[in-house]
Amino acid sequence: MKTFLIHTVISFVVAYQFFQRTDWLSYHARSAGGIFMLAFAVLWITTLLYNRAYFRKMPKAIFFILYILKEIFVANLRIAYDILKPRYAINPAVLAVPLDAKDDLSITLLACVVALTPGSIALDVRQDRRVLYVHMLYIDDDLDKAKHQIKHGFERRILELTT
Amino acid sequence: MNLFSVTLIIAIGTLSICLVLTAIRFAIGPTLPDRISAFDLFVANVIGIIAIYTELTGNADFIDVAIILSLFGFLGSISFAYFLMKRIR
Amino acid sequence: MLNNLDSFLLKETISSVFILVGVAFMLIATIGLLRFPDFYIRMSAITKGSTLGLGLILAGLGIYFDHPAMLLKVVAIISFTFMTAPVAAHVLSRTAVQNKIPFWNKTNLTDFQSYLKKEHRSEKKVDEERAK
Repeated sequence: MKTFLIHTVISFVVAYQFFQRTDWLSYHARSAGGIFMLAFAVLWITTLLYNRAYFRKMPKAIFFILYILKEIFVANLRIAYDILKPRYAINPAVLAVPLDAKDDLSITLLACVVALTPGSIALDVRQDRRVLYVHMLYIDDDLDKAKHQIKHGFERRILELTT
Repeated sequence: MNLFSVTLIIAIGTLSICLVLTAIRFAIGPTLPDRISAFDLFVANVIGIIAIYTELTGNADFIDVAIILSLFGFLGSISFAYFLMKRIR
Repeated sequence: MLNNLDSFLLKETISSVFILVGVAFMLIATIGLLRFPDFYIRMSAITKGSTLGLGLILAGLGIYFDHPAMLLKVVAIISFTFMTAPVAAHVLSRTAVQNKIPFWNKTNLTDFQSYLKKEHRSEKKVDEERAK
């Protein structure tokens, strides 16, 4: 995490100084973003020498963000279809999802991701931090299947990232 | 008056209709949390209107207003929820 | 000259398509805010629709201006919205549970009974202590 912040600042400064000192490229958003990405990728390759864990986790983090964006878009389309129908067919329930994550960071990340996907919201964590209460809209008479979906879809990827 | 500005004006009109509908929920909401969530959506709609207005006039200074407004909308809903949680203790 | 004009038209077209899709998401979210029967259902369905709509509108803005300062501001607003929206939704719904806002009558509450019972018992204990 610290490495990521330092790399972001360094590549920002590199992109700024590139457009200050030279005028090889036109001053557009595309070229500035391209220079930023290039500096970030070069710094990512150099971490092979001193920080192997960061080198391994970065592609996983990018795939995780893309997966979350896809989930948000698909669920939004489903809810939009359900709102525009004359009779809504929702079947809400409150689930108690048992947690495998122990530390604060992964529980916070899991609650934020669950709240960011449409159709589900995190209500509370039990006092001993073993159970997360989740309110979901689409349940087809089978609570265990939805719990398995949350645990297998989101929590496994978050645990891969944070440990 | 080309096709592009007509499209933007249609988008601003649609967002204004959204503001009126949100105000109806704000008025009839049965409990206080309903009103806070309606306020949240209200702020999001106003940020959208400011963004489209920036694009319509081509003046890049207006986007700073949207940054400040997004910050204050979050602070407002958080402080309302905190007040509500304090009141029941 | 022709090349320049063509790229300008392409930018306008892409930007207006993004803005129209975003506005459609926001309109649908607002209609849902009026139609759904329960606070929790509204909360879990609506706020995120408005977040996605706002992100699409701002992305269209960044594509139209095509300037690095504007790109930085747009990325700042989008990341701030995507970070704060789930936090605000979680705080609001937790407050609503502790204030005993009622659920919809078709909601399946079998997993949640123990939590509700414990909350009520602790509240009763607090009342007894206050009475003493």
